[in-house]
Amino acid sequence: MASSPLIADLLAFLADTHPSDQAFDQQALALFAHQFQHNLPFQRFCQQRGKTLRTVRSWRDIPAVPISAFKALTLSCIPADQAERTFMTSGTTQAEIKGKHHHPSLAVYDASMLRNFRQRFMAGSSERIRMGILFPDETLLPNSSLAHYLALAVREFGTGASHYVLTQQGLDTARVIAELEHAEQTGEPYALLGASYSFVHLLDALQRLGKTFRLPAGSRVLDTGGFKGQSRELSMQDFYAQLSSALGISASDCINMYGMTELSTQFYDDGNAILPSVKSGPHWIRSRVVEPLSGEELPRGQQGILAHCDLANFNSVTTILTEDVGVAVDGGFLLLGRAQGSAAKGCSLAVEEFLQAAAA
Amino acid sequence: MSVLHETAGYLPGLRADEVAWQTLSFEGQGGAVEVAVPVLSEAQIVLLTQRVRSASQSYLKSLTVAQIVDTIDRAIHRLLDPQDPWRRKADSILPRVTGYDAEMVRLGLTGYLKTFRKPQLQRFLAEDFGNPQLLDGFVPRPRGGFSKAFGPDVAVHVWAGNVPGLCLWSLISGLLVKSGSIGKVASAEPLLAGWMAQLLVEIDPKLADCLAVVWWKGGDTAQETVFFKHADLVLAYGGTAALAEVRRQVPVTTRFLPFGHKLSFGLVAASALDARKAPRAAQQAAYDVVRYDQQGCYSPHVFYVARGGKISPDEFSRYLAHELSALQKKYPRRSLSLSEAADLAAWRGAEEIRSLSPGGPQVAGEGDWTVVYNHELQPLAPGALNRTVRVVAVDQIADVMPLLAPHRAFLQTVGVAATPRELFELAEQLGRAGVTRICALGQMTSPEAGWHHDGRCSLLDLVQMVDIDSSAEAAAETLAPYVD
Repeated sequence: MASSPLIADLLAFLADTHPSDQAFDQQALALFAHQFQHNLPFQRFCQQRGKTLRTVRSWRDIPAVPISAFKALTLSCIPADQAERTFMTSGTTQAEIKGKHHHPSLAVYDASMLRNFRQRFMAGSSERIRMGILFPDETLLPNSSLAHYLALAVREFGTGASHYVLTQQGLDTARVIAELEHAEQTGEPYALLGASYSFVHLLDALQRLGKTFRLPAGSRVLDTGGFKGQSRELSMQDFYAQLSSALGISASDCINMYGMTELSTQFYDDGNAILPSVKSGPHWIRSRVVEPLSGEELPRGQQGILAHCDLANFNSVTTILTEDVGVAVDGGFLLLGRAQGSAAKGCSLAVEEFLQAAAA
Repeated sequence: MSVLHETAGYLPGLRADEVAWQTLSFEGQGGAVEVAVPVLSEAQIVLLTQRVRSASQSYLKSLTVAQIVDTIDRAIHRLLDPQDPWRRKADSILPRVTGYDAEMVRLGLTGYLKTFRKPQLQRFLAEDFGNPQLLDGFVPRPRGGFSKAFGPDVAVHVWAGNVPGLCLWSLISGLLVKSGSIGKVASAEPLLAGWMAQLLVEIDPKLADCLAVVWWKGGDTAQETVFFKHADLVLAYGGTAALAEVRRQVPVTTRFLPFGHKLSFGLVAASALDARKAPRAAQQAAYDVVRYDQQGCYSPHVFYVARGGKISPDEFSRYLAHELSALQKKYPRRSLSLSEAADLAAWRGAEEIRSLSPGGPQVAGEGDWTVVYNHELQPLAPGALNRTVRVVAVDQIADVMPLLAPHRAFLQTVGVAATPRELFELAEQLGRAGVTRICALGQMTSPEAGWHHDGRCSLLDLVQMVDIDSSAEAAAETLAPYVD
């Protein structure tokens, strides 16, 4: 693989504790040049936007690729079949085309995840914690970046007694309850990690059984991904309030991770006692809030669409345009959810409704 | 720019200070408006529906349809007068509320109002009833017996959408069949219906209790249930999900007329594609796209353009792009909310991405409009609205027909540019596929007076026919005091 010096540089940059703005730009531009040269669909995309090696002078100039491009194009600097791993977006229907993110090597993804997770979820500590995972494991979902992420979390930060509490049959309620009781009785901190909607299923199950817990100090929760129509929808306020009262841990120990298949780096908040919580990432990812049509960066405090420049995305494209609404604030950004469709305005059929009808 | 304050609704029998109000804020073309909308208690809803029911029975039902037509005609003429205070209010405030360009609103409103003048209303009535006297008394049937059309005492209308005036037809059709009407305005445009009600009452003060215009937050099932419980008929406009929700609240014995979101498109035959005709067709097509920024059920999402004319489909798409760009200067698109802009950006981004692949589409457009040209057949699908349109080349127009079948429930208007012979051939096939209206390009957003909205007889759907069988007449004869 031609890009191993590039990977080495990148890993060094990730390991750097206080890199300068200039160093970020340097890395970003090096990756841009690499991707412009080797990722031909991306090159065409840049040319369509009038962006070339000459006109891109800083990370902000790199054109943000809409995430839908991961579905339509092969965004990779190496032939896709040579990737060590390909992560795919989760589609809701069989027929739906899935976005693909090709990783020639997971070295960078893993380094990014571990370094950031240790800092943000493990509070920098190197002590392991007993984990319960509310998500299928990597053998069941080999193309899920979240499955890999959680597998890494267990492998590197979980105690030997960590385990998956979601089986092919669904939530293993008896096992979760046994684990929660164990934690309560022994005082050993316990961490539950998984998809937000699985936590709703857990809350529903606990409520049915009339069970609540008081987990020992140091216990915590990591949820991610929202509800995606896979569980009942509830407000963030209610979600964390219910989690907090069912498990007996403070909302400030409930961390939400914001990540996507199209990125190799995740964002975290510092707990959800105050909502909406501020999300931020490590030094190798930078975000902008942009006006969706013009792509212009919006002033702090103004709502727009999030664009991320993730230097750990060395093989695809560093800079993506999401469909998530956010607003820049001190110390990061607020994530205000997925942009809502414009269906409600007139009586013209909108895409969302059309797709629902087509899927029915 | 100062903020204007307006009050929505029309609530006979309820004083403003008895009612709770909520404020909706708008910031459209020309400035901001804050609109107070009423939030009624259950007791007030019951009171209001009883009041409308009683006035509908005692006054509306005593009028002839000709008297009602006269009253509506006078109201429409007031609104057509640019100097009339109500019209001035509409012209100045609707652009602020809906965000549409003021000139587009003005022209659209005038064009729309013209379809409700006396001769046009008579056409509506004749279209549905043949003999409008059916609404006034028992009329003999050719094969014996008599019939009369009875409108409901109370119809509840649930309006949606921000195409200005959508609610007017609903309100007027209720009046024409002598139905008391309670209309729920959409949060997107809560004002026009209330003004219309006030204007009608100004013209005929005895109508005061026959109409009410209310508001509740969409999906507020508690409020809906109370209103629907006291209605004889519920008409609702909206998306599939919203209609399903409304339907759940309507008692089984109450008639429910849903008007769902629709998908419309255009067909341009080779016969319309020469150097003289093609630019004109493109101009008309562009106009259909620009009007209300494609928010209407009749607004086109796709134009299928035939190959084999002197002007190619590709060139047609460029003409269309040119016209959209020109119309943007004349009628700027309303400013979009963040989620609308995000939707549009995602749609256009996806098309731009596809355009990078060999055989992909061509994407043209500035921030305010987008034309995507596909030279391969594409399934019929909605675009991102707000002046985003797809042009698809086809070998012949007939190739489009197989694409329509999956969308039968959603099809409405098709704008056609073709020869007379082609027109009638296409009409047959389109009708079979579920299309309910075929019109000229440039007219897609202006249905004619008397049109069958979504293929229905809008007035006939509102009434209940009451028959006197000939047997009753014969039996009565035997009981007459003068029987021999």
